[in-house]
Amino acid sequence: MKPPEEGQVQKGPLKGIKRGETVLEARGITKRFPGVVANDQIYFEIKAGEIHAVLGENGAGKTTLMNILFGLYQPDEGEIFIGGKSVKFRSPLDAIDMGIGMVHQHRKLIPAHTVIENIILGHPSAGKILNINRAGDEINELCERYGFHVDLKAKVWQLSEGEKQVVEILKTLYRGAEVLILDEPTSALTPIETEKLLTSIEAMSKDELAIVPFITHKLPIVLAISDRVTVLRRGKVTARLDTKDATEKSLAMEMVGREVIFRIERTRVERGKPILQVENLSALSDKGVLALSGVSFSISEGEIFGIAGISGNGQRELVEVIAGLRNPEEGKVILDEIDITFSSSLERWQRGMGYIPCDRIDVGSIGDFSLVENTTMNYYFDDNYSRYGIVDYKKLRKLTEEIVSEYGVATPSPDTQAKTLSGGNLQKLILARVLSRKPRLVIADLPTQGLDVGATEFVRNKLVEAKKGKAGVLLISEDLDEILSLSDWVAPVYEGKLMDIIPGEKVKREIVGAMMAGLHLEGEET
Amino acid sequence: MRIGSYELKLEKRGTLSNWQAASISILAIIFALALFSIIFILAGINPLSAYREIFSFAFINPYGLPPTINRFIFLLFCTYAFIIPFRAGLWNIGMTGQLYAGALGAFAVLFAFGGKASLSADLSLEIVIPFMLIAAALGGAVPGAIAGFLKGKYNINEIVVTMLLNFIIFWLVSFMIKEGGPFMNPGGRGESFELPPSVYAPLINNVPFTIFIALGLAVLIYFLFAKTKIGYQIRAYGQNPAAAEYAGISPFKIPLLVFTLGGAIAGLAGYHYFAAVPGVYKIARNYGFFGDLAFYGIICGLISLGNPIAAIPVALLFGGLSVGGRYVQGKLSMSFGLDYALLGVLMITLVVFQFFYRYKIVFIKIGKERTDVGVLR
Repeated sequence: MKPPEEGQVQKGPLKGIKRGETVLEARGITKRFPGVVANDQIYFEIKAGEIHAVLGENGAGKTTLMNILFGLYQPDEGEIFIGGKSVKFRSPLDAIDMGIGMVHQHRKLIPAHTVIENIILGHPSAGKILNINRAGDEINELCERYGFHVDLKAKVWQLSEGEKQVVEILKTLYRGAEVLILDEPTSALTPIETEKLLTSIEAMSKDELAIVPFITHKLPIVLAISDRVTVLRRGKVTARLDTKDATEKSLAMEMVGREVIFRIERTRVERGKPILQVENLSALSDKGVLALSGVSFSISEGEIFGIAGISGNGQRELVEVIAGLRNPEEGKVILDEIDITFSSSLERWQRGMGYIPCDRIDVGSIGDFSLVENTTMNYYFDDNYSRYGIVDYKKLRKLTEEIVSEYGVATPSPDTQAKTLSGGNLQKLILARVLSRKPRLVIADLPTQGLDVGATEFVRNKLVEAKKGKAGVLLISEDLDEILSLSDWVAPVYEGKLMDIIPGEKVKREIVGAMMAGLHLEGEET
Repeated sequence: MRIGSYELKLEKRGTLSNWQAASISILAIIFALALFSIIFILAGINPLSAYREIFSFAFINPYGLPPTINRFIFLLFCTYAFIIPFRAGLWNIGMTGQLYAGALGAFAVLFAFGGKASLSADLSLEIVIPFMLIAAALGGAVPGAIAGFLKGKYNINEIVVTMLLNFIIFWLVSFMIKEGGPFMNPGGRGESFELPPSVYAPLINNVPFTIFIALGLAVLIYFLFAKTKIGYQIRAYGQNPAAAEYAGISPFKIPLLVFTLGGAIAGLAGYHYFAAVPGVYKIARNYGFFGDLAFYGIICGLISLGNPIAAIPVALLFGGLSVGGRYVQGKLSMSFGLDYALLGVLMITLVVFQFFYRYKIVFIKIGKERTDVGVLR
């Protein structure tokens, strides 16, 4: 890439490297954490002008490897070479100076500042005299070259997730990054935004930038854009191949270590009595804005009701109102013919609600608690597990051992702290804890978000199992494939309203996709 | 950092056993005492003999030991008043006010039974003392409950509320005991009326019976958190309020409960010092001194990491040093405030050493396998 003339730190180790030559190489990287080898003799290499996807399940060691390449961790063994020279990163600053940039999954922007202020923040030339117009011109040039569209004067809080992602990328590019590491770049984006981002990524790679997206799921994206793939499993490289030689199935197999079934066939279960009825529900968001308006639906025994939509369209408020964590402005919630609109959430649990929250770490579990104590979260109120106000931890320990082995939660003991579990294992634990209560109603809010292929398959199968066990399931998801393959009813949601409620067998992908974006396709009803 | 052919490295600890925590605390105490020797050396005093004086007065001397034990009991109540909200992730800075309120409650019972009228009033110990204890607990529970209610209902910062209530109750005590106040000592003197000897707290070996209440509380609180449903809910709320709410734990009831309990225990500290310690038996003119001492409950609670059993030796140490420090200050004619300086240094060192609860130092022989020998493992 031709760097903008002024104010760029161009130490130049990457200068003169031509397309197809190796930019960055990591040899024999090993990193140990207490109790685990996160990276075991990893070899990784990326060439200029290449999009090199890193694949792996949660806990496979991708993040550790990228953090090592970005200087956040120091490897216990192994060396990193840039342009053929051995380098040592003491901190990310060293890595940035060598032309490596990383865009994290969680946005690190200042919402109250404008886009341009965020981009130049921390830039070496921004410390002296700020020439914001020239910076603006340079950034505009970058935008033009790679096809990004973003208003530099907008405040960051006004932007969509996709635009924020673009700002992060621009920020790294403007710092002079030539090796770009993208952590789950598409996970929060709408299909259209994803499309745009992928085009830009391709444009960047043509400019001899080396790009490393690492992705846990969405294999189709990997196949569509990457040139090569490195697959990690349990800290080791299991495959390194050209994308053209790979298929979705073969990649999944390398990641998980066994065959994976992608499509779960919708199973018909005889419909029973209605379990949950929601009538004309409206609720405010935390900011006091109407986030949910006039939502009505009902779920019967043996049904999965799928709400499809991009996060932030009222799903959170809906789930919280049903779970008893938020008061509705209007409307009714009826569980098994009993009006629970104003019941406490404890009472709902006791009446057979089972809620799997979308935020596993901050809501679904208590990190410093042991697995037994985490199981207790859904059992402390159960008279079978406590007597005269005293919790029967022995019995709960036995229960935890049972569900841990039944759900295959990888952990040394039920007394380990929950924070040591990987995302997939934690989700399995939460699922196990909730479903072992045999709930009447299962609320599954983004149950497979951020999970790898193997864990995703597992979670989906468990939801189907719950449905077969005559539970009603409310499934909230951003993943169209998930909604379409699991749901008996599909309800696209947009800005707090259900756009329609469509029977599962009649659903068309494009229509749901359009409705999620707020569009009603004309004439489709006929 | 490199020393010779070894590299020193900080590593995160996985888990911390009680034994490790205890040995780190003991190291911290030794370090603090070594550090404080500088003060003695500057004053031209041999630190070893100074410490011998402090410890022998506080823990052996027949004049020093009783005050040590009485302060220990007092501190232990204050520590528990801090620990219970602390386990719910909330900070009770209001033990001072709560213990004053407890003392007022206890004296109100005496007042009602006619204890003010005459020192020779013959009151029935078996009836009056239980009432005094209950009133003290209730008295402390009221300001606690106010803070807990405001926190639970309106999410008003509990630190600010408990702190400000301290001031209100401080002056309330003055109003009650000073000239013209209902609890005024008949002889004036700016203190409350005295307890009739008929209701002096029973002593066992010169130690008030309240020690059994304090030690009983240690066991009860331990049991509360280790075994009970309520204890579980408090801990869950303390670790992660959002997760607790998800699990159906009321974000209103928990703060209300822990502050009410904490306040009640602080109230007992008020009963203990002003109605059970031999030689006091009144709300003394310098009641503010004990209010200040109550703040060490926070420190003891933090150092013992909220563990009620571990709080026992910690409170004993702080009780003893506050007594021994004051004694040695007079005996060696050192300047004023030595006792507080000593407690302060100890406090800071203990808190700083908590760093080693999370990290350990390892030596790695350069170029070889890890040897894993370390001072602070």
